[in-house]
Amino acid sequence: MSSNIITDDQFQHIAKLSKLTIKPEELFIRDQLSQAAGYVDILKELDTKAIEPTYQVNHKKNVSRDDVVLPSLTQEESLSQAQKTSNGYFSTSATIQK
Amino acid sequence: MSDLNKLDLKQARTGLLSKKFSALDLVTDCLKQIKNNASKLNSFVTVTQDSALKEAQIADISKPLGGIPIAVKDNFCTKGIRTTASSKVLDNYIGQYDATVIERLKSAGAIIIGKTNLDAWAHGSSTESSDYGPTKNPWNINHLPGGSSGGSAAAIAADESIVSIGSETAGSIRQPASWCGVVGFKPTYGRVSRYGVIAMKSSTDSPGPICKTVDDAAAILEIISGNDPHDATSIGEPPWKIPKTRTDLKGLKIGLPLAYFPKEIQPEVKESILLAAEVYKKLGAEIIELPDVLDPKYSIAVYTILQRSEVSSNLARFDGIRYGNDRSLFGQEAKRRIMLGTYSLSAGYYDAYYTKAQKVRTLICQDFDKQFQKVDVILGPVSPTTALKVGATEGQSMFGELQDMLMEPSSIAGLPGISIPCGFDNQGLPIGLQIIAPQKREDLVYQTAKLFESTTDYHLQSPQL
Repeated sequence: MSSNIITDDQFQHIAKLSKLTIKPEELFIRDQLSQAAGYVDILKELDTKAIEPTYQVNHKKNVSRDDVVLPSLTQEESLSQAQKTSNGYFSTSATIQK
Repeated sequence: MSDLNKLDLKQARTGLLSKKFSALDLVTDCLKQIKNNASKLNSFVTVTQDSALKEAQIADISKPLGGIPIAVKDNFCTKGIRTTASSKVLDNYIGQYDATVIERLKSAGAIIIGKTNLDAWAHGSSTESSDYGPTKNPWNINHLPGGSSGGSAAAIAADESIVSIGSETAGSIRQPASWCGVVGFKPTYGRVSRYGVIAMKSSTDSPGPICKTVDDAAAILEIISGNDPHDATSIGEPPWKIPKTRTDLKGLKIGLPLAYFPKEIQPEVKESILLAAEVYKKLGAEIIELPDVLDPKYSIAVYTILQRSEVSSNLARFDGIRYGNDRSLFGQEAKRRIMLGTYSLSAGYYDAYYTKAQKVRTLICQDFDKQFQKVDVILGPVSPTTALKVGATEGQSMFGELQDMLMEPSSIAGLPGISIPCGFDNQGLPIGLQIIAPQKREDLVYQTAKLFESTTDYHLQSPQL
């Protein structure tokens, strides 16, 4: 098993995509990810050229409900667990800089 | 009467209906047992003493679960009760609605006595990765209960509750049930609604009961199963019904997959399963060796890729904006899984990992179809070992995958299965066997398990606490 399948740069990039902060003492996770990525290589032993993927075992597709309004959480209930709200809305950090 | 917490569901119902004791007596004894063992076992993240006592006073015992205490894994949303998934990210989260499973249990009269510990986000097979400390195995507190539903399994083994609910993605009901010497029933994928269960690997997540007997587990499955419009992967069937019990198993073909006895298997585990096969022979079943089952090592790889991929997507919602804390509180296990999933789903790697794994899932399903042409059910060990020691997961980034290797194939294929006690090792730790059936054939699982239980007394043994 190779320990460098995932490079340092890739590791930092994945952390950013995942919106996770990796502490200096957690950098060893990179090697563990490489090990796992190395382990799953055994799937190459199986020929799947003519095989269709199974994304979900009971093969349900596009399940929809009737377009009817049903009772749901109130605005108060919806906001009750947020640490910060503003004028009856969730409050987020700015995504666009001025 | 005392020690009412030791009763199983059937006994508790009989006692309540004949007015030998009240729901309040029953709930009080369970709460007492939880309190007495809290520091030793740590099975619960939250104990709902006040609401449980209040509900017990007004319990309607005419309902199917009227007055019955139930312990619920802490990844089921419960209205008004803290729901943490054993992660500090959700440390302060109070559920605003009930999961469908909870709604059905409550309608049947069950009383929630607490929320049980799990590996944080159900990521693991030890309950050691909980942010609220590990749960200990009631048979030996130096050992792990298994996981991720370790708190529910330990609570049942220690008689802290009459029944409990767990959830399984690839072994999380069956493996802790096996390590704790209780019964864990994992239904067909889609038989029980996932609505309100904190999503882990949505394409295999399956809620199910962990109980003291096969009949108890089947009775809970009857109540929680059935179509749910809130879950788009619900199989659309009416609630499952317990089939007739059989007096023998004449005509039943039981497969014994040789690949489920890997060289690392603990000799006593192998011995117990082979002895169980002998019991089944005496009951009239035909035992057929299955020499060509797809090696479970491929399922480990498929599970690793698919689980991480779905986790990276499912855990993206935890941003601390609408509820809970921010992402800085994710533990190392969650970070590892989110990042590997993000990697396998990212541009350039998607086909090599994710699509490849979904194709091998097809091969796994086809392999089961082939085996079930030869046999009716499959028998094998649940776990290659009995409960490992506390600390066994340290530095093991693939601990859960390797521990669950004998359950991953059936989970990936969405099959029903059960874990029931079938022996003890030389340290006195329980051994579990599993029975796996084709999709929607819980009837076969039940009948096969029930007759073994009726013929043996492993399920009647209790740990000394």
